[in-house]
Amino acid sequence: MPLEVSHLTRFVMDELQIAALLFMALVYATKIRWILSFKAGRERTPARGDHGRGIRYAYGTLALPWELIGTREHPFRYVEFAVFHIGVAVAIALTLIMPYWPGAVGSPGVVLTLQVVFALGALIAVSRLLRRMVNPAMRAISAPDDYFSLAMLAAWLGAGVLAAPQRSEPALLAFFGLTAFFLVYVPFSKISHYIYWPFIRYYMGKHFGHRGVYPPKAVPRHA
Amino acid sequence: MLSTEISPKAQAVVEAFKKKLTRQAVLSLATCVNCGMCNESCHYYVATGDPKMTPAYKAGKVRKLFKYHVDWLGRVAPGWVGAKTLQTDDDLADLKDVVYGSCSMCRRCTVACPFGGDTALIMRLARGLLTAEGLAPEGVLTVSKDQWEIGNQMGVSQEDYLETIDWLQDELRSEVGDPQAAIPIDKPGANVLFLVNPREVKYAPLSLLAAAKIFYAAGEDWTMPSVGWDNTNFGLFSGDDKLGAHMGKLAYNQARKLAVKKVVISECGHGFRATKWEAPNWAAEDLPFPMESLLETMVEYVNSGRIHLDPTANPRPVTYHDPCNLSRSAGITEEPRFLLKRACLDFREMTPNRQESYCCTGGGGAMSMAEYAPRRLKVGSIKANQIKTTGAASVATACHNCVDGLSDLIKHYQINIPVRNVCEYVADAVVLHPAKVVEPLIPALKGRRILVIEDDADTVTYLTTLLGDHGFETLGARTAAQGLTLARDRQPDLITLDINMPGRSGAEVFAALRSDPVLSRIPVCVVTGAIDFRELMYLRNVPAPDGYLQKPIDANLLLLTVQKILHVRHREEVPETAGAPA
Repeated sequence: MPLEVSHLTRFVMDELQIAALLFMALVYATKIRWILSFKAGRERTPARGDHGRGIRYAYGTLALPWELIGTREHPFRYVEFAVFHIGVAVAIALTLIMPYWPGAVGSPGVVLTLQVVFALGALIAVSRLLRRMVNPAMRAISAPDDYFSLAMLAAWLGAGVLAAPQRSEPALLAFFGLTAFFLVYVPFSKISHYIYWPFIRYYMGKHFGHRGVYPPKAVPRHA
Repeated sequence: MLSTEISPKAQAVVEAFKKKLTRQAVLSLATCVNCGMCNESCHYYVATGDPKMTPAYKAGKVRKLFKYHVDWLGRVAPGWVGAKTLQTDDDLADLKDVVYGSCSMCRRCTVACPFGGDTALIMRLARGLLTAEGLAPEGVLTVSKDQWEIGNQMGVSQEDYLETIDWLQDELRSEVGDPQAAIPIDKPGANVLFLVNPREVKYAPLSLLAAAKIFYAAGEDWTMPSVGWDNTNFGLFSGDDKLGAHMGKLAYNQARKLAVKKVVISECGHGFRATKWEAPNWAAEDLPFPMESLLETMVEYVNSGRIHLDPTANPRPVTYHDPCNLSRSAGITEEPRFLLKRACLDFREMTPNRQESYCCTGGGGAMSMAEYAPRRLKVGSIKANQIKTTGAASVATACHNCVDGLSDLIKHYQINIPVRNVCEYVADAVVLHPAKVVEPLIPALKGRRILVIEDDADTVTYLTTLLGDHGFETLGARTAAQGLTLARDRQPDLITLDINMPGRSGAEVFAALRSDPVLSRIPVCVVTGAIDFRELMYLRNVPAPDGYLQKPIDANLLLLTVQKILHVRHREEVPETAGAPA
């Protein structure tokens, strides 16, 4: 059975979340408008390839790790990427479900699954944080926001592990408190990269599709 | 900003930066999460292991500026996101070293990036800002100036250009055994207008001769323009869109004037990309004629049966290097393979290839930046190893920058195999009727005096014997002083000059020759085993050499180059015989 929580926790899980979500939506809308305020370059020469196929390929590489040099050479990093982002997506979904339909995520099997997903996500966040601190090439490109974002995500997913059973009010408070913080902070931080992703892949796919670079020919390009 | 000590140039760069941002540039600047997935895509980083050579670090120099002045959080808390502005001339020098000296704009990191952040776009943006303030490398500025003022990157005068084409026409006739074979100039209504790289006119005529032979074999109705013939475009490298538009317009206007059916661009990676794809955007022109690469034209000739290839003409193993500007920015990857597999008996794939090919190290205008040559050679170890692994006896490529870049690597890493354009293999394999007849020497050039300045006794003997056997009078000098004395006393018609000599170097001798009012009229062909001579070609503190050849010396290429230089000079001395070929 879902835990009876205090007014404060209920406020953090409900009203505060909605307010933070509205704030995030407002900032993202402004951000998209801001991106679109910059003039997009366009190709004047007739296409050699196909825009649509280029764009589809550019989006499709998200699920085709063998197509990108980095993920092909380091498949474990793709696994990390996938598990980490699944963890984040599930945690976001949980913040929307748990306050209003707690029973939907209350069965032991679901709880265990959520905890495993969150725990793996948190471990990967920690491992990424350590790699960023230890690897000289990663350290050279890192700013405080990079470390902070990873640390906070690790903490949030960790809190998710504790909050998933809905038995600990402090865990719920921490998980939803961090969620509210992220909803406000993320649109300004590096984590907002996902709002750019559809745009940048669209333009990349269109550009390379126009010139016949994307999709690449189905021939071996590497050893 | 804490300090008010901002240099005028830094201020100008910052102001211009904010105005030049396009949507694609903003996305490339804003999206990066510093994930490091691009690190190992860059030959600069892979070869050195230097954390400051990763694409994210290098593009990060520009990203810091973006975050400081444009990004929302960066403007409020710059330190939190690593934002930083440019304040001093030292900051600008540091930026110059990164965007010009540490990136060949090859775009390998772009296709490796999970987002598609275009580091080359960012680098070009920054290069443009520096160029506008006169802060580009000297070689880039020199070449850009010549493109603005003379209309081609090697500063070739129209007279020299036409003389060279005239000489090539003679060579073509000799090669194909047909006195009617022609390289037409400004022929109205021709099917093909052929644009070339000035390197082909000034230093490397074999590829132009090969293209002419292929057009001849295909029975093509083609022409070259008398102006606007340079397909290269330093606007792409310097980030100067106005220069990019200017160079494009020179060619486009000539194509319109001659009412040609299509424009064919010779094997030059950046030249093709700039002329076909970028310059119409810079010039804001929608063009009424199609443009294609010579590679595409040759494929069409083979497919339609207009030319037939005999691969036994190229029996030794050949590999192919994908020029970045063709494979990653123009989608041309299969055409050269189609041709090489039909023109050569043993084609060997180099890996990685196509969109994943490593840069030759000569991209982004690197060949004109002598100050970064040591770094370029060091990071070229990746490409050198790729070439070695194929076991090929020669490297084919479809770009003149790549020919030069790879030639330097091959020399530096002692691989000792030649690099040639694809069209040269195709021309060798083209079946012609009747069989070719080669004239050894244009009669008017017989007896011309050539001074060989070279410290190695065996090389002096080889060169003087080779040239002597072909009807030239020869002189040999083994020191700089002896060479200069002989040049003054005997007034040769041509000097072949080694660069690496003990004591006074060939570069110093070259400068002395060019600075002397009497000796400066003598054409000089650099024959060298070093790569330092590129400085003479691009910096051009004194007029550039008339020719260059790399060691080990290819006897046929030496004779061809010597004849070309003497022929052009001979026509200049006897103007009544000069003129554009029909």
